[in-house]
Amino acid sequence: MKTRITFILLLLSTFTFAQNIISGKVTDPKGKPVVGANIYIDGTYDGATSSETGEFSFETTETGNKFLVVSFLIFETFKTEIDVANYKNQIIKLRENMNALDAVVITAGTLESGDKARVSVLKPLDIVTTAGSAGNIVAALQTLPGTQSVGEDGRLFVRGGEANETQTFVDGIRVAQPYGATTNNLPTRSRFSPFLFSGIAFSTGGYSAEYGEALSSVLLLNTQDEEDHEKTDIGFMTVGLSLGNTQKWNKSSLSVNMMYVNLAPYQAVIPQNVDWNNPYQSLGGETVYRYKFTNGIFKLYASFDSEKFDLNQKNVNFENPIRTDMNNNNFYLNSSYKGSIGPGWQLTSGISYGYSKNKLKYDITGIDSQENAAQLKLKLSKKVSNYFRLSFGSDYFITRYNEDIASTTAIQNGYDSNIFASYAEGDISFSTKLALKVGLRYSNNSLLNENNIAPRASLGYKLSKASQFSFAYGDFTQTPVVDYVKYSKYHQFESEKARHYILNYTFSKPGQLLRTELYYKDYNNLVQYDTRDIQYNSVFNNNGSGYAKGFDLLWGDSNLYKNLEYWISYSYIDSERQYKNFPSMVTPSFVANHNLSVVTKYFITDWKSQIGFTNSFSSGRPYNDPNQTQFMNGKTKSYNSLSFNWAYLLTTQKILYFSVSNLLGTKNVFGYDYARNPDPSGVYQRQAVIPTADRFFFVGFFWTISQNKNENQLKNL
Amino acid sequence: MTKIITIITLFICSLLSAQTQFEQGMTKAFGLWKEGKNTEASQLFERIAAAEKNSYLPNYYIALINTTAVFTEKDKTKIDLLLTKAQDALDAEMIKDQSNSELYVMQALIYTGYVVADPMTNGMKYSGKVMEAYAKAKALDPNNPRAVFGEADYQLGGAKWTGVDTKPLCAQVDKSIELFNNFKPATPFSPKWGLERALEIQKTCK
Repeated sequence: MKTRITFILLLLSTFTFAQNIISGKVTDPKGKPVVGANIYIDGTYDGATSSETGEFSFETTETGNKFLVVSFLIFETFKTEIDVANYKNQIIKLRENMNALDAVVITAGTLESGDKARVSVLKPLDIVTTAGSAGNIVAALQTLPGTQSVGEDGRLFVRGGEANETQTFVDGIRVAQPYGATTNNLPTRSRFSPFLFSGIAFSTGGYSAEYGEALSSVLLLNTQDEEDHEKTDIGFMTVGLSLGNTQKWNKSSLSVNMMYVNLAPYQAVIPQNVDWNNPYQSLGGETVYRYKFTNGIFKLYASFDSEKFDLNQKNVNFENPIRTDMNNNNFYLNSSYKGSIGPGWQLTSGISYGYSKNKLKYDITGIDSQENAAQLKLKLSKKVSNYFRLSFGSDYFITRYNEDIASTTAIQNGYDSNIFASYAEGDISFSTKLALKVGLRYSNNSLLNENNIAPRASLGYKLSKASQFSFAYGDFTQTPVVDYVKYSKYHQFESEKARHYILNYTFSKPGQLLRTELYYKDYNNLVQYDTRDIQYNSVFNNNGSGYAKGFDLLWGDSNLYKNLEYWISYSYIDSERQYKNFPSMVTPSFVANHNLSVVTKYFITDWKSQIGFTNSFSSGRPYNDPNQTQFMNGKTKSYNSLSFNWAYLLTTQKILYFSVSNLLGTKNVFGYDYARNPDPSGVYQRQAVIPTADRFFFVGFFWTISQNKNENQLKNL
Repeated sequence: MTKIITIITLFICSLLSAQTQFEQGMTKAFGLWKEGKNTEASQLFERIAAAEKNSYLPNYYIALINTTAVFTEKDKTKIDLLLTKAQDALDAEMIKDQSNSELYVMQALIYTGYVVADPMTNGMKYSGKVMEAYAKAKALDPNNPRAVFGEADYQLGGAKWTGVDTKPLCAQVDKSIELFNNFKPATPFSPKWGLERALEIQKTCK
């Protein structure tokens, strides 16, 4: 009897349990219905999907107090304890998820490329398939707004800043010598092949407190976390040979690339504006080793370069050309670890060492210089909540430089510098529309004997799904360049300083991007000297100043026509400085007021070809003509260069590549060098600074050998 | 005595009903998917996945539903959301078991989704990953018809402009059909799809 009652009771209760109806409505923070949210009782199958009006209703056999879960991709998952019997017609308001794909990102100052970039300006491939870049990361970046193309130098000049005001970082750690060896008016290129990097962030100002010792800009290169598969790459080029190999194991992988460049055969065929005794030759290699732990990744990056060249350059001061013989050896090592340590905590640490040895013979003067530079870095970040993230860390930079000059007398110069810096930064998300980043950087410089505190702040506000405003402000300091601080035993230098204000508006849709930026940059504490050249006995001071203000515009589009991509970038800049030995406040010679680049890429399926054109235009640059009374009064004619490239897939793994820079052979003039003394008739003679050759042709054949037949080296070109 | 029997019976019943609850849930979800109610089906699978930590199947189907939806979706932002969802579901199972051939086939399919969504951007980047995932799936189970067919199918898709020799690929398709015919799913809900598409491809292959 008892059993029967129990049985009936059981039956009854299951019957009554089934009667429990859970119902309600799901809304977003503004009260608008959320369609398609998943509502269910935790640990059971009982649940429903919200309707067009956000409403839901379902039956459950559960009883008592249970957890009700409401989830929807772009909102934070909602979980609450309910009494199953009494949960009807309730309104559930979901909160915004700060990690959602469409949350605001502060974009002022930054141009990003890569997988993880939220507002990506360039795709990783773009860096290398841009006509005229010839695989040089820096040349590709010079098609972006905010940069100045300075043909006789080749380095990155950002918003009225000198080239040394930009610092390069690999996996967050500084590279002391990012460019190849060069001499007077010969352009250099970036030491890094784009091959090993998966993400590039280029900031033209207002960057995070994590980075210091850069007045204008930072270039952040991140090596790939993972290699796709094992392969061997072989390249035959008109300028040399390249060889690469990747090996992959369970948790680790190793990539090695070697490159030998010799311009002799090329220069024998193509006429040069320069008289080479020994054309440019280099042997270099890069390697990356990665090991994946359960909670982190360790990377080791190493590169070496050995370069030499020997040439005779005409000099307006002498009857005979001056011979320059250059030998450079460079080594760079960088190891880093990045991983999570406990919930919400992330640790990044690293160490780098750079060594550069230059042996330069200029006419009869021999200059041997050596630089040893190291950096130690530790960074911690903690996600406190979805609304707040805190990061802080420390850096230690060590630089030893010395130079031996063997001329009529032997001279030694050099310096030792130790910089300790700490920073803290907070990321606050008020909502998916409004985010703020505030940071502070403290540094102590032993060489300059000074302490600096640099505040940084930026703010992002989202206007609509596709558009947003950002604002950035920051103070930046940097040790004066080696040309000055090597005379530190004669003069106590101070840091040079800059302050940035940036206002950014970005509009982005899939395949389309409009980015505009207004900026103002204030320089002070710049080094000045009173002699023609920088000498140990010059009278130095830190009283120089300057400004840069301007407007940057970038428009990129891949929707206009199938297989066609293009971008247009325009920069206007107004900048003046009184520094070095300038007698008055003028626009320096590396600044052109207008810069315009148009880059196009078109894939022709029938021809299995990608072709691209790049046109770069800059208005004239100032130069100083001592025949005139006013300082820096001259202006060169404008600069224009149209470049073309063509990549042809012979088979999937074999590519034939052709490129030519300055297709039209425009006679460009970068500036003028004037004689130090007037000739007998009282006139200062001059000599134009021109490219080493009007055009540059490149033909290469690239072959990939791997299991995967679809892999090729298109991305390396 | 009766009490004990009742308790045992009830216990067995509940065991059985737990079993059938999973089956019922899965059957219902498949029904919703067949009706084209992708969101509802995916969400029911999500609920099942949350309740049944021991089976990889619910998360597998969340990944499959959301990935296959990409092949007909045009809105790029939506594609991103679908693939993110698929990847999250797959990751949840990958952590538990790295020796399941079907999970690698699923991974290859998600990467294929990225390629199909934007070949210009993702083709070069994901092709290697697609091939690697299929290679792993085949290494774990050389007789998995979906791995054999998927690998051949992906390369055939690109053959139009890569100029790869299709003959050995078509032979692989033939081989996969043989494998499909001999394939016995481990449970009624285990992955068994793919034969129809393989037959379709076989027709155009040659």
